[in-house]
Amino acid sequence: MKIKAQVSMVMNLDKCIGCHTCSITCKNVWTNREGAEYMYFNNVETKPGVGYPKRWEDQKKWKGGWKLDKSGNLGLATGSKATRLAKLFFHPEQPELDDYYEPWTYDYETLIHAKRRNHQPIARPRSLITGERMEIQWGPNWEDDLASGESARRDVNLEAIGQKISLEFHDLFMKYLPRICNHCLNPACVAACPSGAIYKRDEDGVVLVSQDGCRGWRHCVPACPYKKVYFNWKTNKAEKCVFCFPRLEGGLPTVCADTCVGRMRYMGVLLYDMDKVLDAAQTKKAGEIYHRVLDLLADPSDPAVVGAAKKEGITDAWIRAAQDSPVYRLIKEWKLALPLHPEYRTLPMVWYVPPLSPIARRVEADVYLPDAEEMRIPVAYLAQLFTAGNTAEMALVLQRLLEMRCVMRAEMTGEELPAHLALPAEAYKKMYRLLGIAKYKERFNIPAGLQGVSQEKLREMQGGGNYTCPMGGC
Amino acid sequence: MNTFFYGVLPYIALVILVGGTIVRYTMRERNWTTKSSQFLGRDGMKWAGPLFHLGLVMAFGGHVIGVLIPKFVTETAGINEHSYHMIALLGGIPAAVLFLGGFIVLSLRRFGKARMKVNTSNTDRLLYLVLFLTILSGTLGTVMNISGAFDYRESISPWFRSVLMLHPDVPLMDKIPAIFQIHMLMWMLTAILFPFSRLVHCLSVPFEYIGRAHILYRRK
Repeated sequence: MKIKAQVSMVMNLDKCIGCHTCSITCKNVWTNREGAEYMYFNNVETKPGVGYPKRWEDQKKWKGGWKLDKSGNLGLATGSKATRLAKLFFHPEQPELDDYYEPWTYDYETLIHAKRRNHQPIARPRSLITGERMEIQWGPNWEDDLASGESARRDVNLEAIGQKISLEFHDLFMKYLPRICNHCLNPACVAACPSGAIYKRDEDGVVLVSQDGCRGWRHCVPACPYKKVYFNWKTNKAEKCVFCFPRLEGGLPTVCADTCVGRMRYMGVLLYDMDKVLDAAQTKKAGEIYHRVLDLLADPSDPAVVGAAKKEGITDAWIRAAQDSPVYRLIKEWKLALPLHPEYRTLPMVWYVPPLSPIARRVEADVYLPDAEEMRIPVAYLAQLFTAGNTAEMALVLQRLLEMRCVMRAEMTGEELPAHLALPAEAYKKMYRLLGIAKYKERFNIPAGLQGVSQEKLREMQGGGNYTCPMGGC
Repeated sequence: MNTFFYGVLPYIALVILVGGTIVRYTMRERNWTTKSSQFLGRDGMKWAGPLFHLGLVMAFGGHVIGVLIPKFVTETAGINEHSYHMIALLGGIPAAVLFLGGFIVLSLRRFGKARMKVNTSNTDRLLYLVLFLTILSGTLGTVMNISGAFDYRESISPWFRSVLMLHPDVPLMDKIPAIFQIHMLMWMLTAILFPFSRLVHCLSVPFEYIGRAHILYRRK
């Protein structure tokens, strides 16, 4: 057993209202620069839809993530090391600017300086790349709230389940999917980087690109199945979501999590057994990967785990945080959160509580609380996103969310509790508090300071003099 | 005049090449990159990119053999002047076709597309000019010397080795054809530009990647 710590996030999609506050605050902090205009470390997609970049889930095209060879061994989907070195000079799977969108601004100055005319002056769009006038064809969120039409039909998950889902008007459904870098346990971008510039931080599992070490071979961009590594055309280096690591070091959640108006993001520490990572990623049936990942997440209250964690130099503050971790509760205790596209085998560490949805028209009659199958968003569709097509697993998770509502309703009305509950009634009340009330301090539990770095050293790193830790933990 | 071009300038070029590269690597690693422009548009890159680099490797290998290995070594190995020249042409002309052809296609792409302008600096423009003249003069030298009338292994090669031995034998360069003289000047300019341009990425060929573990962990 080799225990490591990972800072992880859970997003409760049931509460995402698609307001894009996370995208905007993130952009203002991290990618508001030349060369990075088109990048959204955090973006919110309306599903069904092709997303950003277009059809990022189409791994036949991009060859992102990992796959098993005939003998069941794990390898990058983009090929062996030798074939990848041959792609240094031209990478057939690399996305281009137009796969994202051409960023633009408007000629705002004409509004002020235009001569007096019969018609109002207008601010026309101008490319942020070339500076030329342009026609806007596509944007970072072109399909916002659309969930229908040509681009929704080209959703890779819909194609995978074929004709089973109707997009007729009375059956339409949609949900939001905020996406950031998943800071995977088995990151394909790290494995694909020829220069060794991308690495997983030992202390907290954050995946970072060294801007000094990056040589711009751009192999990480197609290798990431979530397309969350971007190529900066100005600096000619790769950039990605940094999980706001300077904030994490100060014990604060990421900007996207902190500013989420729906309070749907949770952050905390997970402990995991590093020795089981490869096996989990090599699980034969993709639908089973989720269970193998749950298995490698270690129980932080188990004395054996705590002992092993201390042996690896994980500090008491981190262990305490792992024992009181909102994400551990959602992921492992209550099994409410699922990883996005586990079949990519990168073992993502940003998890999602799937959304409940209104009752489908065909069962509208007198139902107050439907079964999972009776809801508007087809279970098969959610299963494509979160359980590699395992609909039974998805239905179980949705059912637990419904049970929480039943328990809380019974609390108010004095009705009988449902006969078959997956968890004790008390657990549902805690679940309700964490998901529904979602107080700041309950949503986030991040130990300040880096593991194994002394207070003196931390002050030195933070520039010395009068630095006090925001949460008082360091 | 020859003393400057063949006794002084080579040292200026080599010192800037080596020293400048070391300084850039240690002080300015953050801008050390391939400067890949595939993101801005892949048209014209698919074949030209790899073939240009293949031609470059072939040409480089040919230069190592022709310039660094003394004539008597190949002759003792039983390769006479005529067969050496044939081998050199057999490798050199395809290399030149790939190298120059690839370069032209890549240049058309770089200077023909609006989006590419944002990724083209003044250094790039100068570099493309110097590289073009280097490759062109090398190709012309090869083509004009198909007969083998001029034996560079009696003049240029021993001179270059004498430069490396820090004892330049300038008179060796007295009677070389003009096209080769231009080629000499151009490679020295290329060497001077090397540390200031994207060319440095050739030192970053990621051989160590072959033997590396998949996932890297690093501590702060």
